[in-house]
Amino acid sequence: MGACFDLIVVGAGHAGCEAALAAARMGASVAVVTLHRSTIAQMPCNPAMGGIGKGHLIAEIDALGGVEGWAADRAGLQFKVLNRSRGSAVWGPRAQCDKRRYTLLMRRLLEAVPGIELIEGEVTGVMTGDGGIEGVRLADGRRFSGRNVLVTTGTFLRGILHTGENRRPGGRYGEAPANGLGRSLERLGLELRRYKTGTPPRLRRGSIDFGRVTVQHGDQDPRAFSWRTREVRNRIVCWVTRTRPVVQRIIRDNLDRSPLFSGVIEGVGPRYCPSIEDKVVRFPHHEEHTVFLEPEELGGESIYVNGLSTSLPIDVQEAIIHATPGLERAEFLRYGYAVEYDVVASQQVRHTLEARAVPGLYLAGQLLGTSGYEEAAALGLMAGINVVRSLRGEEPLVLGREEAYIGVLVDDLVVRDHREPYRILTSRAEHRLLLGVDSARERLMKRGVDLGLVPEKMFHVEQARWERRARTAHELESTVLHPDRETRSWLRDAAGIDFTRPATWAQLLRRQDADPQRLADQIEPLAHLAKEDRDIVVSRLRYAGYLERHVREIERVHRLGAVAIPSALIEEGAPGLSREVRDALIRYRPRTLADAERLPGVTPAAMAIIAGRILSRRGVDRA
Amino acid sequence: MAFSSVWSSGLAGNADTIVAPATAPGRGALAILRVSGAGVREVAAAVCPRLDFSKAWFAQLTGLTSAAGERIESGVVIPYHGPRSYTGEDMLELIVHGSPAVTNAVMDALISAGCRAAEPGEFTRRAVANGKMDLIQAEGIADLVAAETSWQLKVARAQMEGRLSGRVQQLRQELTGLLARIEAGIDFAGQGIITPASELEPVRRSIVAQIGALLATAAGGERIREGIRMTIVGVPNAGKSTLFNALLKSERAIVSPHPGTTRDVIEAEAEIAGLVVKLVDTAGLRPGETPVEMEGVRRARMAAADADALLVVHPCDQPEPGDLNGITNGRPWVGILTKTDLAPPSKRLVRGGWVPVSLKTGEGFDDVEAALERLAGGDVEQLEGAAVINRRHRAKLQTSLDEIEGARFDEPELAAEAVRAALASLDELVGIVGSEDVLDEVFARFCVGK
Repeated sequence: MGACFDLIVVGAGHAGCEAALAAARMGASVAVVTLHRSTIAQMPCNPAMGGIGKGHLIAEIDALGGVEGWAADRAGLQFKVLNRSRGSAVWGPRAQCDKRRYTLLMRRLLEAVPGIELIEGEVTGVMTGDGGIEGVRLADGRRFSGRNVLVTTGTFLRGILHTGENRRPGGRYGEAPANGLGRSLERLGLELRRYKTGTPPRLRRGSIDFGRVTVQHGDQDPRAFSWRTREVRNRIVCWVTRTRPVVQRIIRDNLDRSPLFSGVIEGVGPRYCPSIEDKVVRFPHHEEHTVFLEPEELGGESIYVNGLSTSLPIDVQEAIIHATPGLERAEFLRYGYAVEYDVVASQQVRHTLEARAVPGLYLAGQLLGTSGYEEAAALGLMAGINVVRSLRGEEPLVLGREEAYIGVLVDDLVVRDHREPYRILTSRAEHRLLLGVDSARERLMKRGVDLGLVPEKMFHVEQARWERRARTAHELESTVLHPDRETRSWLRDAAGIDFTRPATWAQLLRRQDADPQRLADQIEPLAHLAKEDRDIVVSRLRYAGYLERHVREIERVHRLGAVAIPSALIEEGAPGLSREVRDALIRYRPRTLADAERLPGVTPAAMAIIAGRILSRRGVDRA
Repeated sequence: MAFSSVWSSGLAGNADTIVAPATAPGRGALAILRVSGAGVREVAAAVCPRLDFSKAWFAQLTGLTSAAGERIESGVVIPYHGPRSYTGEDMLELIVHGSPAVTNAVMDALISAGCRAAEPGEFTRRAVANGKMDLIQAEGIADLVAAETSWQLKVARAQMEGRLSGRVQQLRQELTGLLARIEAGIDFAGQGIITPASELEPVRRSIVAQIGALLATAAGGERIREGIRMTIVGVPNAGKSTLFNALLKSERAIVSPHPGTTRDVIEAEAEIAGLVVKLVDTAGLRPGETPVEMEGVRRARMAAADADALLVVHPCDQPEPGDLNGITNGRPWVGILTKTDLAPPSKRLVRGGWVPVSLKTGEGFDDVEAALERLAGGDVEQLEGAAVINRRHRAKLQTSLDEIEGARFDEPELAAEAVRAALASLDELVGIVGSEDVLDEVFARFCVGK
C-alpha cells in the first residue's frame, strides 16, 4: 500500500485543487486521485470565473493564499466588474476564461508543487478502521493509505445525464459517473440527496451571424483578481442577443418531452440558475430572455450560450436556437443537458468540513450541495487548511459570517438545511457592507501570511495601500470647508451642490443630493489615489453610518461568543426548551451563546432560557 | 392517543413540569390550578390516579391524593394533550374548592409528584416558545388580565386575537418583497434583473403610509392604556370643585361659597367613555392675594399645562371670559357654563359649543357628561382594536418607519440595509428576533399562573 499520506484528495476539480495545493504548501504529503490527468480543474459549464458574490469568494480565496484568482487572471480573456457604478461593497469582478488554458495551468501547478502526488484512477471506497480513516480503495484494486480523506467528486456520484428522453449514466459530458464511492459514503452513515443542474448548448463560432447580435466589451481598465498579478488585458469580446416570443410556444409545446417536467428528473435544481424551460414556465409574462454568447477558448470554435441551459430534446434545442436572432444557421458542437447527481446533505459536516460522524473524512465542493467553481474552490481551500491544522493539533480555521463570504458559505451549509444547489449571494451576508471585494485583503491577507500561504512582503505592499486609503479618508473627515462666496460658487459650478455652514469633505460626500463621482473629481486629497482606491474611499464614507451599526452588532455577537455553554447543559437541556431547540443543541453542540443563536429553531425565547440557565448554574456552582 | 403523545412530546421536549394556581389567592368558591410540561401524565397518575388522561378536554370528577396516599380532595380535572393546549405542552387543569388549605394541599401533592412552582408568566412564555402565539399576542393576554375599563378590554382582546400581529405580519411580507427586489437588483445585475426605483417607490410609499396609520393609533392606544389627564380650570368660585365632585359622584373636594376655597391641586380617577380619566381640580385663576393662594394659582397653571384635555369652567353670573389660548394652548378642551340657575348663559358662548349646566339643580349635567365622553374618547372609536397599545410597539414601529423613509433606491446596497433594519425592527416587535431583555420585560408583567 506504500506510504501513508497526510491527505488523500479524491477528485481534482476546483475544490480538490485548492485543497491539495494549500495542504501541500503548508507541508502536508498529499495524494490527488483523479480520473484523468487531462481533466483537472475543468470548467464544465460557463467559461467565466467570478461575478457578484462569486467574485467576492475569489477575492477572499486569493487573500488567504488560494490560487483560483491567480489562474483566472492568467486564463482570463475578458474582464468586467459587475455593479462597478455602485458602491464598492457590491462590486462583482468577473473574467471570461480560456477553459483549456485554465485546466493546463492548474495541472502544471499540481505537478510543480512539492508534496503532491497525482494518481489516475477511480476511487470506489473510503477505508476506515478502528482509528478512523485509513485510506481509499480504487476500482483497479489499488489501495492508498492516508490519515485524512477529502472527497470532492462534484457531480459524479451516481451522475445521470439527460437530454430530452435520452438518459445515460455520466458525471459530465463524455465522462463516466462514480457509483461505488456513493455506496461507500452511504455505508459510512452519510445521508445523500439528489440534486440537478444543467448546461446550455455549445455552438460553432463560424456559424453565428455576428451582424445580428450586440458586442459586449470588457472594462476599459481591466481589474485583476489576484495580488500576484500585475496586469491583465482583454483579448476577446462577447455578444448578446435575445430569444424571440416564439420560443415560448416552442418550449410549451414540448414540455412533455422535458425530463424536468415529465417527472424523469427527481433532483432539485438551482432556482438561481434556471433552465430556459424553467424560465418560460415560471415567468410566462417575460416574452424574451437575454442570451450571452461567450467564447470558451481564445481562437477556439466553441461558443457557450449563456442563458439557454436546457435538457430538452435535441430537435427542440435546435428549434429554440434557430429562432434566436444571429443563431438562425448556428451549428451545434454539443447539445445542452441536465445532470442529476448525489450530494452529501451538508449539515453532516462541521465548520471545518470534517464529517461529524467520520473523523478524518472531509467533504467539499459540489458534492456538498453547492453550485459553482468559486464555492467549490472556497470549500476546498478551507478543508485543505483545516486538515493540516488538525494534523498539527492546532485550532481549526473557521471564518465568521462577519469576516468573510467564505464564513457565510460554510456556516450556511453547516447550520441550515438546503434542498437545492447552494449559490453564494451577497444577500446571504448579514454584513454585506463590510465584506466587499474592496476589503478582502484587509480582512484576510494577514491570515494567509500566518498560514504560510501568502508571502509577508506582499502583505506589506497591500497594507501600504489600505493605509493610504485610511489616511485619505481621515483627511476628508477632518478638512473643513468654509462657505465663503468663492468656495460656494466653485462647488456649485463643479459639483452642483451648495452649502451654507462649514462642512468637511466627508460630510459633503455623504449628502444625498451630492453626485459623489462628480464631487470626488474636485477633491484634492483624492486626486493622489488610483481610481479604484478613490471609489473605495468614497463608498466607505457613504456607508459610514451603516458600518457603525454593523460594528455594534458584531460586538454584540462577540459578547455572546464569550459566554460558554457548559456541556452539561447541552446534555440536560433546560426547562422550557422545545424539542427542536434541544435537538439542535445536541446535534451541533454550540460552544458559546453566539453559536447557539445561529442554530435553526433557536428563537429569542429559547436564547433567554439558555442564558438564564447558564446564569443560574453559575450561581449553583459558586454555592 | 399515540398520535397526540407523539405531538405532545415533540413540543414539550425536556421541559420541567410546572404548576401554579390560576386563581387569585385567598378564599373563594373554587380555585383552579394549572400544570404543564412533559411529565404531566406521571403527575396525573400520582395525584389523580383514576383520571383517564386519554380523554383529553373532558372534565372528569376524580379524587386527588397526597404523596402519602391520603385522599385530600375531590375535584374536576381536565387533561389537555399538547399541542392543543394553552402552552402547547400536555396540561392539566384542576378545579378544587377555593380554600387556601385545599389549594395548598393540592399544590403540595403536585410538587411531591414532580412539579415545580411556576415563575410569573411561565405558562405564556412556553406558549410563545412553542409558537402558540407571538409576543404582541402574549402582551395582549397580560393586558386582558389587567384590563379595568371597557376600552382596555376591547383592545386587549383584539391584540390577543392577533389584530395588530396580523397588520405587522402583512407589513413584514411587503417589506420582504421589497427587499427581495432590491437584493435581486444587486445579486443578479449581470442578468439585467434590476427593478427601477420608479417601481420600488410606490411600494415604499404604501408601506410608509401603513406604518404611519398604525403609529397614528398610538395616541389613542396610549389613552386607552394610561388613561388621560383632564384638568378643570377657571376663574375663582366658578364651581370647579362642585363639578369635580359631581363627576366623581362623591364629595372629594371641599366646596364653599367663598372664592379661593381650593388652594391645592386635587386628583381622582373616574371611568368616562370606557377610559380611565384622571380628573384634576385646581385653584381659580386670578392674581393671588396671599402667598398660599399665589402658590395655588401657580400649581393650577402647571396642572393645566400637564393635562391632555381641559375643562374650562365659567359661571354665567360673571362677564364672558377673555382669550383662552394662553391656557388651552392647542389642546382639546370643553367650555362649561355653570350657575345657569343664577343667570342665563351667554348665547354667543353656547353657539360656540359651551355647555350650560346648573350643578345645583342638575339641569344640563347629562350634556356635560356627553361632552366629556366626546372629549375623552377622541378618535379611539376608530381604532377598531388594531391599536399600537404600548411604548414598545410604538418604538419598534417608529424605528421601522424611520429606516424605510431613509431608503434611497439609487444606492441599492444602502437601500437594502435600510429595509433590512426596518424588517428587523418588526421582527423584534412580534418576537421573531430580539434580546432577552425584551422578553424579560414583557413577561415580568405577568402574574403567576399565566
